[in-house]
Amino acid sequence: MKILLRFFLFSLFVLPALFPTGLHAQQTRTITGRVTQSEDSEPMPGVSVSIKGTTSGTLTDAGGNYSLPNVPERAVLLFSFIGRQTQEVATGNRAAINVQLEPNVTELTQVVVTGYTTTQRRDITGSVATISSEKFKDIPVVGMDQALQGQVAGVQVTQSSGTPGGGITVRVRGATSINASNRPLFIVDGIQVEDGALALRGFGGQNDNAFSAINPNDIESIEVLKDAAAKALYGARAANGVVIVTTKRGKAGTRTRIEGDVQRGFIEMVRKPQMLNATELLELQREAITNGGGDPERQGLIPGVTNGVNTDWVDAVTRRALYQQYQLSARGGNERTQFYTSINYRDEEGVQLNNRFIRFSGTLNLDHKASDKLSFGSNLMISRLRNDRVKGDNFLDGVYSGAIKSLPFFSPYDEQGRLYGPNSGGYAGFPNFNPVAQALLPRFQTFATKIIGGLSAEYAFTRRLRFRTKASVDFNGVTEDQFEPSSTAIGGFLPSVGGRGYGVYSNGTYITLVNTNILTYSYAIGENETHAFDFLLGNELLQRTERTASVSGRLFPRDDFTYISGSGALVDEGGSFFIQNGLVSFFSEVKYKFKDKYLFGATTRYDGSSRFGSGRRFGFFPSLSAGWRISAEPFMEKYTFFDDLRLKASYGFTGNERIGDFQFLTQFGGAQYNGNSGLAPTVLGNSALQWERTREINVGIEASLWSGRLSGTLDVYTNLTTSLLNTFPLPTTTGFGGFQGNIGSVSNRGIEFAVNSVNIDRLFKWRTSLNLSRNVNRVESLSDTLPLFRGYTATGITTTNVIQVGQPLGTFWGLNFLGVDPATGDAIYEDLDGNGTITEDDAKVIGNAQPKLLGGITNTFSWRNFDLSLFFQFSYGNKILNFSNTSLLNAGQDIQTNQTREALRRWRRPGDITDVPRYQFNPDRAEEDNPNNLHSSRFLEDGSFVRLKNISLGYNLPKEWLTRFRVQSVRILASATNLLTLTRYTGPDPEVSTLDGSTAAQGIDFFTFPQVRTMMVGLTVGF
Amino acid sequence: MRFDLKYGFLTVVALLAVSGCREVLEPQPNNVLTADIVLTTPEDVPAVRVGLYGAVRGTAPLTVVAGDLTADMATHNGTFTVYNELGNKRITSSNGAASAFWGSLYQVIYISNFIQERLPRLTSVPQAQRNELLAEASLMEGYAYFLAAYTYGDVPFVTTTDVDANRNLPRVPRAQVLDSALRYMQRAIPNLPDSASAITAFASKDVANAMLARFYLYNRNWQEAENHANRLINAGRFRLESSFERVITREFDSETIFEMGFGNTSNDDPGTSTFGLNNIFIGRREVIPSNEFLLLILSQESGERRLTVDFDFSRQRGSDNGFSVNKYSGPDQGFNNITLFRLPEMYLIRAEARARQGNLTGAAADVNVLRRRARAPELSVGNQADMLTAIERERVYELAFEGHRWYDLVRTGRAGAVMSAFSSNWREAYERWPVPQTEIQRNPALRGQQNPGY
Repeated sequence: MKILLRFFLFSLFVLPALFPTGLHAQQTRTITGRVTQSEDSEPMPGVSVSIKGTTSGTLTDAGGNYSLPNVPERAVLLFSFIGRQTQEVATGNRAAINVQLEPNVTELTQVVVTGYTTTQRRDITGSVATISSEKFKDIPVVGMDQALQGQVAGVQVTQSSGTPGGGITVRVRGATSINASNRPLFIVDGIQVEDGALALRGFGGQNDNAFSAINPNDIESIEVLKDAAAKALYGARAANGVVIVTTKRGKAGTRTRIEGDVQRGFIEMVRKPQMLNATELLELQREAITNGGGDPERQGLIPGVTNGVNTDWVDAVTRRALYQQYQLSARGGNERTQFYTSINYRDEEGVQLNNRFIRFSGTLNLDHKASDKLSFGSNLMISRLRNDRVKGDNFLDGVYSGAIKSLPFFSPYDEQGRLYGPNSGGYAGFPNFNPVAQALLPRFQTFATKIIGGLSAEYAFTRRLRFRTKASVDFNGVTEDQFEPSSTAIGGFLPSVGGRGYGVYSNGTYITLVNTNILTYSYAIGENETHAFDFLLGNELLQRTERTASVSGRLFPRDDFTYISGSGALVDEGGSFFIQNGLVSFFSEVKYKFKDKYLFGATTRYDGSSRFGSGRRFGFFPSLSAGWRISAEPFMEKYTFFDDLRLKASYGFTGNERIGDFQFLTQFGGAQYNGNSGLAPTVLGNSALQWERTREINVGIEASLWSGRLSGTLDVYTNLTTSLLNTFPLPTTTGFGGFQGNIGSVSNRGIEFAVNSVNIDRLFKWRTSLNLSRNVNRVESLSDTLPLFRGYTATGITTTNVIQVGQPLGTFWGLNFLGVDPATGDAIYEDLDGNGTITEDDAKVIGNAQPKLLGGITNTFSWRNFDLSLFFQFSYGNKILNFSNTSLLNAGQDIQTNQTREALRRWRRPGDITDVPRYQFNPDRAEEDNPNNLHSSRFLEDGSFVRLKNISLGYNLPKEWLTRFRVQSVRILASATNLLTLTRYTGPDPEVSTLDGSTAAQGIDFFTFPQVRTMMVGLTVGF
Repeated sequence: MRFDLKYGFLTVVALLAVSGCREVLEPQPNNVLTADIVLTTPEDVPAVRVGLYGAVRGTAPLTVVAGDLTADMATHNGTFTVYNELGNKRITSSNGAASAFWGSLYQVIYISNFIQERLPRLTSVPQAQRNELLAEASLMEGYAYFLAAYTYGDVPFVTTTDVDANRNLPRVPRAQVLDSALRYMQRAIPNLPDSASAITAFASKDVANAMLARFYLYNRNWQEAENHANRLINAGRFRLESSFERVITREFDSETIFEMGFGNTSNDDPGTSTFGLNNIFIGRREVIPSNEFLLLILSQESGERRLTVDFDFSRQRGSDNGFSVNKYSGPDQGFNNITLFRLPEMYLIRAEARARQGNLTGAAADVNVLRRRARAPELSVGNQADMLTAIERERVYELAFEGHRWYDLVRTGRAGAVMSAFSSNWREAYERWPVPQTEIQRNPALRGQQNPGY
C-alpha cells in the first residue's frame, strides 16, 4: 500500500515526505529544536531530522533550527548529517529537542567522490583512496601531484629533481604503456586538466609542470581511483588511474570564516655532491696521465700552479633560497548561497642561482539554490606563474651539471670581477662552460596563465530523479621569453646556433572544453530499503585545442638587444601550429544494494576518440563489482568490535588513447628544398589503430574496528594491458620506419595495504597511518622477440635501458661488472659469450628501477594545544643508474671533468683491493678503448631509501586568549621537509629521474639537481 | 507546461551533444595531407618534386659521413657514438649513420616509386611536364641505388610503394643493383631538361652525364667514364672558379653541376642535427681533420686547397689539433649547400680514365688544370703508377669532405694498405658499411644476411 502511495506521489513530482500520509490515526504533535556542532556549538544547517521508520522529516535552517510537525507519540527522531554521527533521540513527551552532533570518528560514512557521483565509503566496492587536505596542509607542496607522495598505497610519486615547479612522475599501480602516456587522468572539479610540461622547450630532461599552477591550498580532497570498478566510468582515459581533485566550497553558517595563512622559510640542498678539491684532482690527473705514458707537465698540470685556484663550483652556483607563501581565504554563506574564495601568493627561489618560481592565484567557488529543485554552482580558479628556469641535467651548458663537472682549477670571475665567457682563455673550453655565467646571464622566463572554470546546474525532477549539467574549461596560456647573450654557451660559442646572442620567444595556448550531462535516479523498495538502486546515465563531450607559435633569432647586434623586433637580429626559425582532438562519451552506472549487506555495481562507458579512424573510433569499457558486508551477517553479531567488515571484488576494462593525433592516416607533410616548400611522406597510417585496453581484476577487504579506532584495507590486483599503442617497426625499405600499431602487452600485479589507527586517545593522542604497496610490472609480449633499446647511448653497449619480454619497464642494460683486478687495477666484466673479449654482446639485464616495496607512514601526536606530525616515506629494492659517474668516476677517460670523492678509493698499486678501477688517460684514445669505463653494473646502485619527508610541529593558541581579539583560532607551525634520508645511494639524492616522466628509462641520475630541504614557519589565523 | 520545459531542455542538450560529435570526433588535419589525395591535382606536382629533392638532399651529408669519415680524413673529437665508431674504426651494425644513410636512400626510392606509380595517371598535367618529373625521379632512384651498392654491397631492390611487399625483401647481388641503377639513369636522360634551362639545384642532362661519368669510373669502364666526363668539360656551361676560396664560400658557383640547396635564413637550413655538416665540423667539432690529412692538405702541392681547413690556436689541446673542416658553413655565412657534382671531379675522372688507358700526358694535363687554379706546382708526367697515385692524392686535395675518399680507396683496392697504416683497428670488413642492425631485425628476408665481419 505504502509503495503504491509513494509511486503515486513520485509520479506527481512532489516530495513524498512533505505530505502527511494520513494513514496513521494516532495523536501527533510538532517538535522543534536546534542542532549544533558538539565541538564548538556552532549551529548546523541542513541536518536531516526524520522520524525513525517513516519517511517524514525535515531539514534544519541556517540557524540550525527545525520544526517537525505530525510527530506521533513514542516516536524516535533521527538526526543525520554527512560527516557526523547519526543520533537517535526518543521524543518522550518533550516538545523541544536540542541536539549536538558529534563528528564521525570513523571514515565509514565519509563521502567519497567517485567521479561523476559520490558515495559513502562503507558502500564502495572498488578501490578508492582519499587524501584530505589535512594530510598535506602543513607540507609546503607546490602542486597536487606532490601532495599525493607517500600518502596512498599503490601510488608512486617521484619528483624528478629539486627544481621548484619541476616535473613529477605519478604512477598508479605501475606503468601500463610503452609509448602512450603513463600519467593518470587528473580531473579537477570535473575537467581533465593539462598535465606534463607547459613550456615548449625542454631543459635537459627537466620540464616544468602544469600542475604547479593549481594551488593545493584550495583543494578539499583528492581521490585516487585505482581499480576498474572505480575508474571504468572514465573509460578510454582511465587505464593509468584517475585522480579526482575537489576544491573547497562554501559552507552555510552564521559566520563567514576568514583565514589568513603565512609561510616563510628557506630551502637548501640536502646533500651536496662530494667532489675532489684542486689538489686531489691534480694528483689524480697526474697519476692518470703518467699511467697512460704521458707527461703531466706537458698537459699543464703543475703542482702549486694548477691547484693555485680551488673553486667549489657547486657552492658557486647554489644558495640558500627563500620560500614564502601567503594565503587569504573566506568561506561561508547561508542555506541558499555558499561561497569559498581565496587568494594566494607563493614565491619559491630555486637553490640554483637565478632559479625562481612565483605563483599568484585566486579562487571563487559559488553554490546557489534557486529553488527546492534548481541549484547552480560555479568554480573559478585563476593563476599566473612566473618560472625563471635554468638549464639542467645532460646539457653541456647546464648550471648544476656544469658545476659538478667543472674543474676546480678555474674560477667563475676574472681579476676584475667579470664572469668568464665561453671564448676567454681563463676558463676551460668546450665541453665545459662557466656554470655561474650559465646561471646568471641567460633569461629563461616562462609565464603561464591558467584558468579552470566551470558552471553547473542541477535540477531535481523529484527527490530521486536528478539531472545535472556542467560546462568547464581548462585554459592554459604559456609564454616563453628567452635570451642567451653572446657571453653564454649557446649565445656565443656555437656559431651554428647563436653566434652573437640567441633569442627564443614562444606562445602556446592549450584549451580543454568539457560538457557533462548526467541523469541520476535512486530507488529503494521494501522494508528498511531492502532493495536499493542507484542509476546514472551520462554523456560527455571533450575538446582540446593546442595553438603554438615560436620564433627564434640569432646574430643580435649587441647583447643589449634581447628581442628580435627592432634589433636587426636574424630570424632564425619561426613556426606556428594548431591541432585539436576530441572525445565523445556515453556512460552509465547501476548500483544495487540488498539489505545493506550485498552490494553490486556495474558501469559502462562508450568512448569515441578523434585519435582513431572511423571504423575504430569507439571503444566500450565495462566493469562489474560486488561487495559483501560480512559484518552485517548474523554469525558476526558476537564480534561487536567490527563496525564494518567488507569483502569486495571487481572486474573490468579501461583504455588509453594518449598518442599523437591522426596516426591512423598515411600522411604527407611539409618538406623543403632550396628555399622551396613542398610535400613529402611523413607518417604511414594504420586504419586498424585501436585503444590500448587494460583488463583489471581487484579483490580486497576493508575493515573498521572499535568505532573506527582501527581501520584498514587490503587490495590485491592483477591487470593486463593489451594492444599496446606502440610503434610497429618496419624496415626502411618500405620508406617508413614503422607505424603506430597495437602490439604487445604489459602486466601489473600487486598488493596494497593501508591501515589507520588511533593508538592512544586520551589527552595525549597518537594516530598512525601506514600504507605499503608492491607492484610487479612485466612486459608480457612485444611485436617480436627483439629487445627495444631505450635510454641513453652508452659506452661499449647499445643503450642504458632495454624493453624485453619477461622484464619490467625501466630495466637497465649493461655489462656485468665483477670487480677490479687487484693485480692490474683493470675492471673485470662478465664475459657472457665466453669468447675472451668484452663486447656489446656481453651486455645483459643488470637491474631495474622499479621498487619492490614502497610506502609511507605518518604518526601524529597531539597533547593539549600541541600537535606533531612525522611523515616518513620509503622505497625499497629499486636501482638507480648513477650515470653521472660515467663522467665523474671515469677511470681517466678524460681530464676535463672533476671526479667524485670515491675516486680517492681508486686502484693505485698492485694488491689494492677496491671497486674503483685504475685511472689512465690517453689523449688519443677512444672511449671504447678504455676498458675501465665501459657501461656496466659499476654504475648501478641500490636506490632504496627511507626519508623523513616532513616533520611539522603545530601549536594552537588557547581559545580563551583569543576571544577578546575577536579571533577564532591562531596556529603556529614549524615544518621541515627532507630532514633526514637514509640511503646507500652514493649520489646526492636517491629520489631522482633525469628523463622526467619517462617509464622505460626512469631512475637515471645524470647530473640531475637533487632534492632540496625546506624549513619553514607558518602562522594561520582564523576569524 | 513544466513537463514541456524539462523535456525541451533535455532534448536541446541531446541535440547539442549529437551535433557536436562530428566536430569533436573528426577534426580536419590542418598541417598534413592524407596520402591518397597527394598527386591527384596538378598543383601537387611541384610540391612533390620539392619532396623528392628534399629526400635526395637528406642523403647528401651522409655521403660525406660515409666517404670521408669512414676513411683516413678525420678523427673523432666529440661525444657522439656515431662519430666515435667511424673515427676510431670500430664500426658496428648499430651505427646510427649506417641506418640513417640506408633509410635516407630508401626514402628517395620510395618517393621516386610513389611518383612513378601516381604521376602517369594524372592526365590533367601535360605529358611533357609529367615526363620530366618521372625522369628526375628515375635519375634519383638510380643515384640512390648507385650509392647503396657501393656503400653496403648487395641491397634489397624496391620497385613499388607496397609496404607489405617491401618489408620482406632479400638482398640482390650488387652487380644486379648497379645494372638497374645504370638503367634508371640512362632511361631518365631523354626527358630531363637541358642544362641551360635549369639551375644546378635540380636535375638536368648534365647531372645525368656527371653521374654516369662517376658510375663508369667506379665500374672501371674507362672509355665511357672519359666520354661522359668529356661531355661536361666540353659543354662550356661550366667553368672553373678563379680561386679555390670561391669554390668553398659560394653557392651555385660556376663549376657546380649538381648542388643540394638549402634556403638560408629560414626554417630550411641544415640545423644542428647529428648529420648537419656544419654542426659536426664547426659547431660541435664532433670530427676534426686527421693529422694524416692535414699533412696532405697543408702541403705545397695542395696549394690554395689548404683553405679546406681552418685553424684556431685556442682549440689546440690534448688530442685536438685545433683544425676544423671549413667547407660547410652555418646559414649566416651562406655556404651550407652540399655539392654532389662539380667540374673538377670531371677533370679528375677523365685524368684517371686517361691514365688507366695509358694517356699519361692527357692525365697530367687534367690534373694540372686544377693545380694551376689552386696556385700549386704543376705535376710532371711520370709512369702510370705514379700518375695514379698522384690522381688519388689530387682527389684528396680537391674533393676533401665531399664524400669521395673511402669510395676511392675501396674501388682502387687501396683501402687495406692506406687504412691499416692509419688505424690499427682497421679491418677488411670496413670496406663495406654494415647492413643496419634494425633492418636485419625488421626484415625477415635479411636475417643472417649481414655483411661479413659485422
